[in-house]
Amino acid sequence: MIRHARCAREWPWLIAVLLLLAGWQTSCGRSRAEQRGRELFELHCAACHEASNLDLKKQPPKLEGLFQSKRLPSGAPATDEQVRKTIVQGIGTMPAFDQRLSDEDVDGLVRYLHQLK
Amino acid sequence: MRLGKLACVVLACVVIAPGCKPKNKRYNLRGQVMAKNAAANEITVKHDDIPGFMAAMTMPYRVKDPGVVQELEPGDIIAAEVVTANDGNDYWLEDVRITDESGRKTAKAPVTPRPLQPGERVLDLPLVNQDGKTIRLDDFRGKAVLLTFIYTRCPMPAFCPRLSSQFAKIHADLAKTPDAYGKTHLLTISFDPKYDTAPVLRRYGLAYLDNDPSGFAHWEFASASPGDLRKLADAFGLVYFEQDNQISHSLDIVLISSKGTIVKYWSNDWTTAELENALRQQAAQSTPATQALGAGRSR
Repeated sequence: MIRHARCAREWPWLIAVLLLLAGWQTSCGRSRAEQRGRELFELHCAACHEASNLDLKKQPPKLEGLFQSKRLPSGAPATDEQVRKTIVQGIGTMPAFDQRLSDEDVDGLVRYLHQLK
Repeated sequence: MRLGKLACVVLACVVIAPGCKPKNKRYNLRGQVMAKNAAANEITVKHDDIPGFMAAMTMPYRVKDPGVVQELEPGDIIAAEVVTANDGNDYWLEDVRITDESGRKTAKAPVTPRPLQPGERVLDLPLVNQDGKTIRLDDFRGKAVLLTFIYTRCPMPAFCPRLSSQFAKIHADLAKTPDAYGKTHLLTISFDPKYDTAPVLRRYGLAYLDNDPSGFAHWEFASASPGDLRKLADAFGLVYFEQDNQISHSLDIVLISSKGTIVKYWSNDWTTAELENALRQQAAQSTPATQALGAGRSR
């Protein structure tokens, strides 16, 4: 009885530790994905979208707050699917990234763009 | 009080910063020398990802320090700093160090054939334009032609997008003077015939022509078969190769006379005004197609 009582007292602690561990793992996973999204953005997007005085016909738009408005700079709805399509197929003078980025990379970029505020 | 001083400093920085000239940015590069062009002080490097600047690719870089290119050989593994200025429009390498030169013994430098010289006739090879129609360089006899090479998926703002933007400016300027417009033609040829099919080139062209398809009568976008593309590139002294879905290429523009002969090349260094003036001058000297020696089909 004494042993059982001690176990019963320890259960809440064990559950709390397990919950903490699970939370830590999720946050690590999230930060890895965020890190990858940021790397992809810097490698593939920043040269145009973070610059402001390029010798181009049209200055590429800044992407901060992309998903905060209802419409993309192109006028299309600001949805994941539309942004994914824009990255893969290109639009206007923006080149297509078709066959250069994996589906996983495109997903990572879209996730990162959601965080750009 | 301290907080007050700090606030003043922060405020001063905020007020002054927008007026300051932006500093050059520096990035670390590691890669392998694939080719060198000592005359242009340039090397082609197959490099790793450069976080904050660009993904891994093979591309030409100008080297700032004179004399460094002579010491480098294809196959060398190097470390260097990429310096970007003017908001990424200009870039070059500094502090180039060879970290391993064992690869230079086995590396094969790409052979650049002798390009056509000014006065020599251009090749008359078939091309397919943005409408799927076969065209040939001889079709443009009677007009001064400005020709360049790009690929539509080029992600480097200082490369193909810049070239096409400059051509768009020249096209729009010439449209304001009907005489010069009628005596000139712009031609953009793709390095990537597999991807850049006629519909892709049409979409790309329309983006630079403000969605006005009538502009294609003066500026065409075309591709050639891979074999003919290589012949054309060799004739114009262009270096290009495909790797990991990226095409590494030199930047070149060619001015062709109304008689179909080479007038001038520009490699890496030009201004839009310089190109436009040269094209206008050439157009003023142009011979109508019917009088041009061996004139091709009129357009």
